Amino acid sequence: MLIKLELFGASRDFNNTNILEFNFKKVISIKDFRLEIIDYVKQKFNNNQDFIKIVNSSVFCSEENEIISDNYKITKEQKIGIIPPIGGG
Amino acid sequence: MLHTKIIDSNKDKILISKADEFIKSSSFGASIYFLGTVRNINQNKKVTGITYDVHDEMVLKSFTEIYSEANQKLGIEEKAVFIEHIKGYVGLGDISIIIAIACAHRDQAYVLSRFIIEEIKKRSPIWKKEHYEKDESSWLKGNPVLNEKI
Repeated sequence: MLIKLELFGASRDFNNTNILEFNFKKVISIKDFRLEIIDYVKQKFNNNQDFIKIVNSSVFCSEENEIISDNYKITKEQKIGIIPPIGGG
Repeated sequence: MLHTKIIDSNKDKILISKADEFIKSSSFGASIYFLGTVRNINQNKKVTGITYDVHDEMVLKSFTEIYSEANQKLGIEEKAVFIEHIKGYVGLGDISIIIAIACAHRDQAYVLSRFIIEEIKKRSPIWKKEHYEKDESSWLKGNPVLNEKI
């Protein structure tokens, strides 16, 4: 199951293409997905604590543009957005 | 009456004249224009510009939700609200957001304008990357979005 993580704000520094791709064999919760992203960041950026903090302080949004909780289960291939702390205006 | 739009700074600009055209009506006695602009100093660093990142769909959705909530919470029925936010690079002094309000009375207009900008700050997925004269560009620390369960 291919999950595309769309990057926004500070998380755009995780990748040049603004999308990260993850492949999972089974259904995964947002809580576990967050841990997978942290693993990616740890490996790719030498345990960069600022990046880990960004992942931990972010929420996620579904393809329907709804904020989804840590209990939300990703059951099919889709695009998920990561929403780091905001501050526009 | 609501107008919302994300303006890509590479293609377009936020224009006060457009807002003026939208909210102008003889049934409203009070108009307020709130403009957010890029200032030259932040945290003792000389700023040269800001790049705004935006989740377009969620931002537009949040603007509509804020407008609807204003109806319920503030009870201002007759009003015109024009909201545009920039995305992309914006230079010093340029407009990043406009909130133009027209209501029957001034009290309503002030309250509504303040309500909308404060809610946008709290809820709309918009991020700023500041560019400096001497230092490396950096994303500003924001406020975490509340995790709503669905």
